[in-house]
Amino acid sequence: MASTPLPPAQSYRRAAVYDWITTVDHKKIGIMYVVSSFVFFLIGGLLALVIRTELAAPGLQFVSEATYNSIFGLHAINMIFLFVMPMLTGLGNYIVPLQVGAADMAFPRVNALSFWVFITGGLLIESSFLFGGAPVGWTMYAPLSTQAPETGVNLLVLGLIMTGISSILGAINFLVTLFRLRAPGMGLLRMPMFCWTQLVTSVLLLFSIPVVTAGLIMIFIDRNYGGGFFEPSLGGNPILWQHVFWFFGHPEVYILILPAFGIVSEIIPVFSRKPLFGYRAFVIATASIGALGFTVWAHHMFTTGAVYLPFFSFFTFLIAVPTGIKFFNWLATMWGGKLTFDTPMLYACGFIALFLIGGLDGAFLAVVPFDFMVQDTYWVVSHIHYVLVAGSLFAILAALFYWFPKMSGRKLDERLGKAQFWLLFVGTNVTFFPQHMLGLDGMIRRIADYSANAGWTELNFTSSVGAFMIAGAVLMFMWNVFATMRGPADAGDDPWDANTLEWATTSPPPVYNFDHLPPVRSERPLFDLKHRDDGHAPVAAISLSVTEGPVQ
Amino acid sequence: MTAPVDSLTTDHGSENDSGHGSKGMDIALMGMLLFIASEIMFFAALFGVYFNVRATAAVWPPEGTEFISWQGSGLFGLGLAVLITIILVSSSFTMQWATDKIRKGDRTGMNRGLAVTLGLGIVFMCLMLFEYLLLVTHDDFGINSGVYGSLFYVMTGFHGAHVLGGIIGIAVVLARGMRGQFSAEHHVAVEAVHYYWHFVDVVWVFLFLTIYVLR
Amino acid sequence: MRVFNAARAANRHLSLIGLALFATLLLAACATRGDDYPTSAGSPAFLPGKVVTQQGREAADLYLPIFIIAVVVFVLIEGILLFVALRFRRKRGDDTLPGQRHGNNVLELLWTGIPAVIVGVLFVVSTGVLLKVDAIAPNPAVTVDVTGFQWQWTFDYKDQGLSFTGAGKDGPEMVVPVDETIHIRLHSVDVIHSFYVPQFFRKLDVVPGRINEFQVNVEQEGTFGGQCAEFCGLAHADMYFTVRAVDRATFDQWVTDEQLKAAATPQPAPSGGPTAAKLQVSAVNKLAFEQATLRAPADVPLTIEFQNLDPVNPHNVSIKAGQPDGKDWIGLPIAKAGQVAVYQAPALPAGEYGYYCSVHPNMTGTLTVQ
Repeated sequence: MASTPLPPAQSYRRAAVYDWITTVDHKKIGIMYVVSSFVFFLIGGLLALVIRTELAAPGLQFVSEATYNSIFGLHAINMIFLFVMPMLTGLGNYIVPLQVGAADMAFPRVNALSFWVFITGGLLIESSFLFGGAPVGWTMYAPLSTQAPETGVNLLVLGLIMTGISSILGAINFLVTLFRLRAPGMGLLRMPMFCWTQLVTSVLLLFSIPVVTAGLIMIFIDRNYGGGFFEPSLGGNPILWQHVFWFFGHPEVYILILPAFGIVSEIIPVFSRKPLFGYRAFVIATASIGALGFTVWAHHMFTTGAVYLPFFSFFTFLIAVPTGIKFFNWLATMWGGKLTFDTPMLYACGFIALFLIGGLDGAFLAVVPFDFMVQDTYWVVSHIHYVLVAGSLFAILAALFYWFPKMSGRKLDERLGKAQFWLLFVGTNVTFFPQHMLGLDGMIRRIADYSANAGWTELNFTSSVGAFMIAGAVLMFMWNVFATMRGPADAGDDPWDANTLEWATTSPPPVYNFDHLPPVRSERPLFDLKHRDDGHAPVAAISLSVTEGPVQ
Repeated sequence: MTAPVDSLTTDHGSENDSGHGSKGMDIALMGMLLFIASEIMFFAALFGVYFNVRATAAVWPPEGTEFISWQGSGLFGLGLAVLITIILVSSSFTMQWATDKIRKGDRTGMNRGLAVTLGLGIVFMCLMLFEYLLLVTHDDFGINSGVYGSLFYVMTGFHGAHVLGGIIGIAVVLARGMRGQFSAEHHVAVEAVHYYWHFVDVVWVFLFLTIYVLR
Repeated sequence: MRVFNAARAANRHLSLIGLALFATLLLAACATRGDDYPTSAGSPAFLPGKVVTQQGREAADLYLPIFIIAVVVFVLIEGILLFVALRFRRKRGDDTLPGQRHGNNVLELLWTGIPAVIVGVLFVVSTGVLLKVDAIAPNPAVTVDVTGFQWQWTFDYKDQGLSFTGAGKDGPEMVVPVDETIHIRLHSVDVIHSFYVPQFFRKLDVVPGRINEFQVNVEQEGTFGGQCAEFCGLAHADMYFTVRAVDRATFDQWVTDEQLKAAATPQPAPSGGPTAAKLQVSAVNKLAFEQATLRAPADVPLTIEFQNLDPVNPHNVSIKAGQPDGKDWIGLPIAKAGQVAVYQAPALPAGEYGYYCSVHPNMTGTLTVQ
């Protein structure tokens, strides 16, 4: 590539900042998503430490009930809407155009708009701290949320509407990119699995976010303009909010986990040196999880007495099947492979080992009579954290270790990464496993205090110790990034000997991504290119001869 | 970076076209259709809430709200609602007319069609605001008049906001059309706006049937 | 070097997973309990604690078989993962590719079909139990109307003419006879609460604008703690109650005693009495009073009992032109969040008065004096 002479240092620096703010390059926007969502992750993590510090012992030692009631909801909002969602969007933003061999997203300027709308929404949500907090939980159940007098709740609602708009715009952008900008020869069934999961996730976003947006608007009107949507004395129905919220909220769970499945499905084949076992089954399972995700929302409402229980119980059981398929496919991919346990692979295996627990304790919740016992207890808290920490967070870290060389040209330190993995692995279990037993014993969630003689003190203390282990692991990761960025950019274009197109360009890629694209004849175009002549070419995959997609 | 032997050279010519063929739907049009899909879900949520409240209410519509009906908004014998429905539905036809013209390359015809559509849209907005005025001043019916008032104003109000969006879109393509920026081959913006306008009209037909006729 | 690290990592993988699991198991076993605290169902462990209702027992019996299935699946998957991680490691310097297997339809069908059958059986079994747990018998022995409000409970025994209200750690007590059908109806006057007794293995939400009902047959005598399980605002964590199950004779005796006690306590004079009238006003937030209109008799002193249910803001009740000289009458002291204030207002001549909160003048209502 031609090198351009650098302008004088000072004007160059100003130009760099200006360049980032005004950029429409999917890679820069992706990095901005990743960095800003990580900042929100740190805020959410600090809130989690406050929660665990308060609960480490019975009695109110650290914060007041009023503060606590704001904190647990904003912890969840930060982690779900301002960390996991935008982090996965950011990774998708960076990786998806590269994986399909495109120069950018379909609508680069809309892409920048979604990012800045997300930032605005995030700042609105954080500003609720300054205006009385938002003691309504992340579920914002009416009429508590419509009656709460804190201005912070208004800011929370407005911020969520904005992040929702950002997600809708992002979803449209991903879908058009995936449908229209794939490389020549890349039919839909030759897309990398990460792209498939982003596709299904985008469909879920497109159909679920507008519903909750409508509901949030209603809450705003009930709060500020005397509306009566969720107010029984005015003819409204509080349960209605739960329907609206969970119609979004359950697909949301898959929005948070499907891209994580995609990440793990990218990493395991690379570090096993085998193709993904049952690619088509995987695609079908992903799509059916997406479809079934819209049929199970009321399993969050079993105890409202207002839903037809067997219907939602049935589909909740059913959705376990395609999730199970994925586990077996990952294991079958590793079976007979030649495995190396670099940090990304370690995280992917940790994901399988621990997400399994989140799947199994979730299956209990589909049993309605058992849900009557543990709904709104720490059992559910444990379940969601095995899904979101052991699931989404582990996969996000796997992705960051895996794609960091592509984004920066540098490999994160392996030894530090492995140490961090084990600390996080143990910390996650120490924090969240005891919560199963607390929930089964009747400890409800969202309480600032519990009785000293309930027998819950030891397990709560254990859980709090684990939370600080997780915090330590996060600090190690930050140090790793900081130290690595000071080192030389010597990772090379394809440090993991990987399969997909993003590794076919330089690290980091040029603005236009590719000078040349290898021909795409399977879901592993780079693998085909590298192993054309050694007798292991995947004949079956080539004979797929999918002719969908544009051909130049 | 050395180029692999049998690789394909990509085209960096334009930002929106990465050289991956031109068959299939235009990306902007696809974006608009996906946007409309998400908007359908937004209105579906509003209708879902309406029918849930309607199904659980003892009396529906609440007593004392007879003025909201196709038979009259208080002052008019045959209601404003029917009038604005006729206006908006006919604007769908003029929009289609404008789009058909430009598909055949008739710029002047398109501009005329767009102008008429724009006018009808503006009349619709004005009459809708007039109806709001009547309801608030004459019938003392506001967004805080129980769940029925909240539903009425949120559903029609958000539809109105979408009509306003459509009006702005039509105004933009009309301005561009008057500068001769569209041709039979290149008029994606017109196509996109026309899909959007049809969507807005269909939503209104459902709103009219739900709120004024079915009640 | 990388391979060597990988081998070590895999070994640590094995030992650390084991360590983590055993540590948690050990902790579970070691978790000791102090004196009997009713809100917990037993000592926290892998199995449900003591369950005292017939319906709860049916539900709790589902736990063990599902737990066993879960453990089997857990051991199977983790076992395969460990085996694969140890057996299929890449050897140092081995640059050859393993067999490139793309899939196997028989296997796919197998691991789709077997889980589908398992969850199908679970669905049928659990729905059968659900129907029993949710069943409503026609002639319950005792009906209790439970009202939840921020942050208290009221238990109304309408047939017996008894009512108990309580707040805080102690909360009110619900006394029920054992081995008889107890019908519980749930009402809310403000936000959503949830009626939860861990030893009943059951909770049901308390929803404003809706009455939820369920039945229990308590099989053991004893006192069982309960708590609101749906986040309902500031003092959600302190919204306790207890249920005491006694034999039929003790229950009848308790009813008689309480009825006598209630009769002995003089009831406050009914409103509209000759010397003074009592008004009840409450506010839940800074937007409005719960009562938009109030009625009071003319020319008698008014006792206004104001309940500030707002979790944050202070409020009071003030009457426009409520003093004989035409000035506003201001209710003092101002009630802090969650407090009750009782005001003595002067007698008013017949007419329409506005009342408002002097802290939030946009909170208004109309007082009709006639």
